[in-house]
Amino acid sequence: MNEQIDKELDRREFLARAGKAGISIAAAGIASYLLYDSTGPAASIEAQDPVTLPDFSVPQIPAQTMSVVKGYDRAKTVDKAIELLGGIERFVKLGETVAIKPNVAFASPPMLGATTRPELVAEVVRLCYSRAGAKQVYVTDNPINDPASCFALSGIGKAAGQAGAKVILPKDNFFKYTTLTGGKLIRNWPIFYEPFTKIDKLIGIAPVKHHHRSGASMTMKNWYGLLGGRRNIFHQDINTIIAELAMMVKPTLVILDGTQVMMTNGPTGGSISDLRRVDTLIASCDMVAADSYGCGLLGLKVTDLPYLTKAHEAGAGTTDFQSLKPILATVS
Amino acid sequence: MGPARRRVRRPESAISFCLLAVLLFIGLGVFIKQSDFEMARFGINVATAELPLGESEESKDDQTALNSLVPTGFETLSKTGVYNPENLYEKINGKAPLYTESGFEKLSTQRYVSTADESLWAELYVYDMGTVKNAFSVYSVQRRAEAEPFGPMRFAYRTANALYLVHGKYYVELVGSTESAELFRAMAEVTRKIRANLTIDPNAGIAELALFPEEDFVAGSVKLYLVNAFGSEGLTDTFTARYKLDDETVAAFLSRRSDPQDAQAVAKGYYEFLINNGATSKQTAKKILEGKVVDFYGTTEIVFDTGPFVAGIHEAENQQAAEKLAERLLNKLREVINSANNE
Amino acid sequence: MRIVQTRRISQVFFFTLFVWFCIVSTIGDKLWQLRGWPVNWFLQLDPLVAIGTILTTHKLYWPLLWALVVICATIILGRFFCSWVCPFGSIHHFAGFLGNRKKKAAEKIQLNKYRKAQCVKYFVLIVFLFMAAFPSVGATLQAGLLDPIPLVTRSFNLVLLPIADSSVNVTSVAGRFYESAWLIFAIFLTAVLLNLVIPRFYCRFICPLGAFFGVIDRFALWRIGKSQNECVNCRLCEKSCEGGCQPAGNMRVSECVLCFNCLDDCKHELVSYQTRPSLAGEETDPDISRRGFVLSLASGILAVPAVRLGNKLGSNWYHRVIRPPGALGEEQFLQRCIKCGQCMRVCPTNVIQPGGIDGGLENLWTPVLNNRIGSSGCQLNCVACGQVCPTSALRPIKLSEKLGIGEFADRGPIKLGTAFLDRPRCLPWAMDKPCIVCEENCPVSPKAIYTQECFNTVRDGIFTVKKATNDTVETVEDNLPLDKFATGDYYCFIEEGDERTKIVGNTENSIEISPGRQFEKIPAAGSKIQIQVRLQRPHIDIEKCIGCGVCEHECPVSGRKAVRVSAEGETRSTDRTLLLKG
Repeated sequence: MNEQIDKELDRREFLARAGKAGISIAAAGIASYLLYDSTGPAASIEAQDPVTLPDFSVPQIPAQTMSVVKGYDRAKTVDKAIELLGGIERFVKLGETVAIKPNVAFASPPMLGATTRPELVAEVVRLCYSRAGAKQVYVTDNPINDPASCFALSGIGKAAGQAGAKVILPKDNFFKYTTLTGGKLIRNWPIFYEPFTKIDKLIGIAPVKHHHRSGASMTMKNWYGLLGGRRNIFHQDINTIIAELAMMVKPTLVILDGTQVMMTNGPTGGSISDLRRVDTLIASCDMVAADSYGCGLLGLKVTDLPYLTKAHEAGAGTTDFQSLKPILATVS
Repeated sequence: MGPARRRVRRPESAISFCLLAVLLFIGLGVFIKQSDFEMARFGINVATAELPLGESEESKDDQTALNSLVPTGFETLSKTGVYNPENLYEKINGKAPLYTESGFEKLSTQRYVSTADESLWAELYVYDMGTVKNAFSVYSVQRRAEAEPFGPMRFAYRTANALYLVHGKYYVELVGSTESAELFRAMAEVTRKIRANLTIDPNAGIAELALFPEEDFVAGSVKLYLVNAFGSEGLTDTFTARYKLDDETVAAFLSRRSDPQDAQAVAKGYYEFLINNGATSKQTAKKILEGKVVDFYGTTEIVFDTGPFVAGIHEAENQQAAEKLAERLLNKLREVINSANNE
Repeated sequence: MRIVQTRRISQVFFFTLFVWFCIVSTIGDKLWQLRGWPVNWFLQLDPLVAIGTILTTHKLYWPLLWALVVICATIILGRFFCSWVCPFGSIHHFAGFLGNRKKKAAEKIQLNKYRKAQCVKYFVLIVFLFMAAFPSVGATLQAGLLDPIPLVTRSFNLVLLPIADSSVNVTSVAGRFYESAWLIFAIFLTAVLLNLVIPRFYCRFICPLGAFFGVIDRFALWRIGKSQNECVNCRLCEKSCEGGCQPAGNMRVSECVLCFNCLDDCKHELVSYQTRPSLAGEETDPDISRRGFVLSLASGILAVPAVRLGNKLGSNWYHRVIRPPGALGEEQFLQRCIKCGQCMRVCPTNVIQPGGIDGGLENLWTPVLNNRIGSSGCQLNCVACGQVCPTSALRPIKLSEKLGIGEFADRGPIKLGTAFLDRPRCLPWAMDKPCIVCEENCPVSPKAIYTQECFNTVRDGIFTVKKATNDTVETVEDNLPLDKFATGDYYCFIEEGDERTKIVGNTENSIEISPGRQFEKIPAAGSKIQIQVRLQRPHIDIEKCIGCGVCEHECPVSGRKAVRVSAEGETRSTDRTLLLKG
């Protein structure tokens, strides 16, 4: 009797075990099927899910693409320049999130002109909040020197903070790989991407500077800050990379500050004697046009800066800024 | 253990044999798998690799010329390679100076592979050396020790897997991938086609070859040194030939100069070169060789001039044999000079 | 036929097959060479290789599907692999048998009892699997360090075979060399010698593969067990127990390696391979504590970031980690390489070497090129290493891809790195000695190494002319080194005529130029001449260099080479490039 019960128990135990074994084998088989890779890894280390920067530009309005304002007080000239293009309301809508990309490349004091002037950043932040009703304004850059020191010493961190903007410093996981369609250099390259995923509009603000490698650093060169990785390798072909940056980034507006122009020893300068007062500030929806105008402030012709023509030919803007009928004004 | 061991039950044996069958099956599978392979995937088999080749404007003509040589049952394996003196090293690396210093103008190469068996392939090298003499020179100084005479051609020999020949100003090498009768047949066919298809100057020849006495001559032993024969800078355009007489191997040399004065000077120069390097003058029984025989560290060197010729014996072990040959050579040269004068 | 005899036949069969595969891994089409022998078969059967690469890459590379056969068979039958197939297991089995055969039965029973420490191997497994599992902190495949199949493959390929072959030279023409092979040997020897302490020490305490089988054999349909609980309790069944799984008592299924010795040793035929659990009781779960599990899991997760604190994947990467052609980008490479040494074994030039820890702990025993070892750098027309890589850490590339021709023409050749000239050590650059060995040997076309000619006046090489003819100059000085300038590399430079002529000989007070040439202007007595050496100084065309290392191998400056390859510029990574691609 007992023996029979034992046998029955054994049989049940065995069946249960066999069932589990069967399930295990099936699971292993299904997993193998799902994970099966019949080709092996690919040659190039293409990034998984490359990213693309969004287009932040606003619709064009004829004859309201570029403005040039003469004057020394940057707060006033920038106000005027933006007003001439239709006011900040044209660019930033109520409740939108804005990122401002100043040139914070170096840990150097504002007066040397190697970085964007803090009062200029502060004024644009103010405009975004008070006039346009922006929800949030970020100020961000990926500098060459230590980011925290750069934002501190350039005065931009403090000025932006006081105006209510939030400074975003780069972190490793903010960088994602991108490939520029039609690009030769920006292929599978990490860019400073994360801050630009949560914004609606992008404004670039750059000073006019002499640059040893490229001739001049203005609004287009300012986007160099978006490149991650060993970006200094691009100095081997600086004109192409600047033109490609102009193709990759589509900002809402750029502001080119030629109030004090760094005429020599750029891009770092180091002495006030490197600077010259030119009292000109440009606001433009077309950065190629802005930089084409700006190179004149350095005493250069458009043809002196090959990247301008390259960017023009690639369709990123026009070097013939006159065709945009820039609006001129002077403030005292 | 022995007697105390448990008995073997039948299922156990059955399972054992099943498992042994499985092992047999695995062994068989492995053995079948090993015969299924293609060495080309390891890349080592250069025959099937499409290698980058030197190219020039003329390479199209060469392509057609070399393609016309394809033996039956074979096909061309790669584009024709054409190399000039500047990039010859890319093909033959350190051997390049041997050719470039002998008037090299152009090398065309081509590979042919059997359509039936891809392990059978041969590479053809056609060196355009500019002149017959140059071609003969690179041919003769490279002549392999294990050479066997080949075919009806005067300057041609074969080794186990290769053929070498001079065709006019061309020095030709055909190197086979392996030792195979079929491959050799194909290579022989290529040489026939070369003689038929590659035009050469029919009058260009090497007159000096007829100047060596025929008695005891070792066939195929003539070498031509365009410069620096025996390490002496003055001895240019010098032919050497080996003789087997009285069980001794003796090498004779001769060089035709522009005129008797030059011949005299070169002979003197070489004689002094020997003396300066430690040779001592030697007694001789033959009157006509007096003052022309030296002892060079135990070997006999003889150098003389007659008419436009400089000639002699190089590094002979045996003085008698050397003098015997020198005498024959001198007589032969004198005959040639006399018959030329009589005409 | 006894099942244990069958088992021994199987062990001999698979061990022989394994050794045979090691022997035939020489490029060639002879029967004892590579041909189509499935030399990776044991590695492909190894479930730990498959599971490890799945964890790191989330893919099952197709040849590793063989592991599924082993996994399924283990789920049904138990750990048959350990006692029937595993070549490392067979070595331990035999070594343990040899070392303990003279012992008395009671001693053997004591040796083969179950030990609590057998749980260590499960911790080893957990650490390796969790190192591989978390890509967010960096996944790395390190199981190959202790996984028995890569371990024994590596030991045979890099140590035992080269030693055995050094006198007969069947597997290679010249002797084979492997850097730091002593460490591989020491580990192998230790593992084998530990059998003298406890039989199958490695299998019982360390082997992560055995641990994996111990986890998945819990539902095995058949298992070893007693067919009745009561017996004379002689414990002879534990006398030769290979797994240490206590068949006489509470059977530990996860430890049983199916050696069938218990079945054979029981005189009363009470032990059998049966579908019902042992009537003396059985334990299917591995004996691991919760604390041990959590600790090993945490160590596994933390180990990768800890190892990577050296920043060897970042800016502090080690320039001498030059990977063979077809290697994936470094991080992807480390997710696949199991350190088996197959590429090092097959490499015809012996240039692929087991890496050390200079490139980071993860680099240990991974393939690295050392151009100072072997017959000649990385051969231009060879892609053998990728063809034998079991996990495609080195992709099986075609020759056309390596050379950048045909369909790969637009990508250009695969660069392993870039050669750099160390000018202060280079003979023509630093010592004015003629040498163009690197240029001559550069296999790239057109050559990546080119030379530029220059003439340098030798030391104390200015002399005053005493008398000159059209091809000789007698000097006032009489201290010229005899015949030193007759090599063809020296030239006589006449200052006033700016004329340079090759020297063919010199005595202590005269120099002679080639008789074929003559001075254009015979130098005047009292004027100065210079003895100059003609140098062809090498330069490297960085765009042409593929980093094959032939130049480094051939460089006559044999200590620290005057031209050395370093991994900058390798095609497989974007962040180590030197040049922008135009």
